[in-house]
Formats: sequence, C-alpha cells, structure tokens
Amino acid sequence: MQTVKWMMALMMMGFFATASAQEALAPGAQVKDFTLKDYTGKEHKLSDYKEKAGIVILFVATQCPVSNAYNERMEALHKEYSAKNLVFIGINSNKQESVEEVAGHAKENGLTFTILKDPNNVIADQFGATVTPEAFLLNKELKVVYHGRIDDSQRPAQIKKQDLRKALDEFLGGKAITDADTKAFGCSIKRVK
Amino acid sequence: MLRRLLVKSLLPFLAMVAASCGGPAVPEVETLDEQGFQQLIRERNGKILFVNVWATWCAPCREEFPALVKLAEVYRDSEVEIIGVSADYPDEIASKIVPFLQKQNANFKNYVRNFADDQAFIKSINPKWSGALPVTALYDREGNQQVFHLGEADFETFRQYIEELR
Repeated sequence: MQTVKWMMALMMMGFFATASAQEALAPGAQVKDFTLKDYTGKEHKLSDYKEKAGIVILFVATQCPVSNAYNERMEALHKEYSAKNLVFIGINSNKQESVEEVAGHAKENGLTFTILKDPNNVIADQFGATVTPEAFLLNKELKVVYHGRIDDSQRPAQIKKQDLRKALDEFLGGKAITDADTKAFGCSIKRVK
Repeated sequence: MLRRLLVKSLLPFLAMVAASCGGPAVPEVETLDEQGFQQLIRERNGKILFVNVWATWCAPCREEFPALVKLAEVYRDSEVEIIGVSADYPDEIASKIVPFLQKQNANFKNYVRNFADDQAFIKSINPKWSGALPVTALYDREGNQQVFHLGEADFETFRQYIEELR
C-alpha cells in the first residue's frame, strides 16, 4: 500500500512538472483565427491582416518593468517594419490591467501600434503565451515562424543579439529563420484562475 | 566595471560593520554563471536542491518570498539546500538585491545571474519555460530535476514538493 502511495505521489509530481510548464506555440504551429477589441473598442480579426507580408504579435503589459523597458524598442520596430508591409499587434492579457489602463499606458508611452485587450486570457492560452514581452511572428497562412524574445537584454546598451529584428529580416528576405525559438526573463502573464 | 569592483569590495566590509554594530548581517550574494549552476546541480553531497528564480521587479516573486523564508527556516540544517537565483543584474546587488533580501529577512543563499546568455540557463532549467518569473525547480540527490513549477506558489505547495522527494 505504501509503495502504491509513493508511486501515486511520483505520478502527481510528474503531472505538476509538465502541467505547470505551459507550452507556447512553436515555429510551424497554426494559429487559430480570433477577434479581439482594441482599447478604443474597435474589433480586429487576425485574418483581416492576411494581406500583409506577416503579422507580429507582441504580448505586452502596462505594469511589468521588463515589458516597459521594451516600449521604445517595440515602437521603433513597428515604425520601421510597418513600412516593409508587416503589421505589429500588441495583446494585453493581464487580468489586472484594464482597457482604460492599456489606453492610458499606450498614450503615455507613445505606443502607436494596435493593442488589443484579451479578456480572460483566452488568446494568451491559445498561443501558450506566459511572459511579457513575448513575440510571435506569423506568416500569411497564420503559422508561427518565430517565437520568443525581442532581444537578449532589458538594457539597450547591453544588447548583443537582436533576435526579433534578425528574424524579421530573414523572413522578409525569404530565408529560413536561424534561431526561431528564443527565451528571456520577463513577467508572468496574470491569468484568471 | 569600477562600479562592480566597488560593490564586490564594499559588501564584505559592510557585512563586517553591520556585524560589529550588532545589526543584521548583510546577505552575501554571489554571481552565478552557467558552469556554476551546473556544478550546484551536480555536486549534491546527498542533499536535495530547491531552486527559486526571482527578481526584485517581479511582483509575484516578491509576494511568494516570505514562503521561501519560512521554508528555509523549517528545513534549516536538513538534507535540503534552498537557493535563490535573482534575475536582476550583478551591478544591482548593492542597490536592489541586498536591500530586498534584508527587508525580507532572507535566511538562505542567493545568487544573481551572470550568464553569457540567459536563454541557455532558461533552457537548462526547462526547455518549455519561456522565462516568466517566478519559477521553482527541485533536484533530487543525484541532481535529476523532479519538479518544475512555473509561477507563484505557497509554503504548503513548496513543503509538499520537498516531502515527496525526501
């Protein structure tokens, strides 16, 4: 009986170990179409952007110092790559950050790309997004071609690898993406239970 | 560079001053690189390793920290080694990390990440982990990871993880 209990405990541990490691959509994965409202109340359907060369989805936050450290960089990338027929869409899935807060934060920080509010973190769950900031680059077929970090340092002066920029350039140049799945420390997306 | 040297050389002095004044000791925070982390996992000396990765900028990390302090108190002088790895920067030891640890009355060893690339460390903890904080991982006496917990947890959850490994 004791052995069975011990085995049950080990099985439970195995469950915890895998269940709590939520997995993000990896390169090659298909993204399901969705519709969300931006902070002005306007609806955006993902597939409406299929005429673009690609879609950059950025999971962002208003209160996360790491996400905020990237505000200027995200805006600069949006400006530069919008001119190259890519579209940047921010998604705020944090339960404690209201639509009003998202609107105020975008205005204060000069974020001009579309930012959608994801009530009940439904779309974060669909992407398996867990951290802010977290980027996904989608092709015209809405398949993930890059997932992960914007670059390798919260501090602009210490950046050695601009992973997202490199992926965008390779993608637009029709090349295979060298490092299509990257990671960086960031804030957890605060989900509804 | 100069700042880092100053921080490194000032900390033991501050610790000495605090101790001689009868004040609380300044927590010692060492930098940790990839090799150092792998060595910690490998050299178990018969102890279970409990690793919590946190940062001063991470709200849930700050919320769960008292549970870690309680855990370290309960498992003091036991076969469980509890360590924290801060994802702040090494040059923030004196300005952010030590003040935070003092405020929390931290009673276990803490390091600050000093990896050539954070993603190597993140992948070594769990290839599925995005890097979202906090994270807790437990390694058995042979250095095999047995638990990976993404997100905040409470004392009871931590205690159960340890008890299942003991």
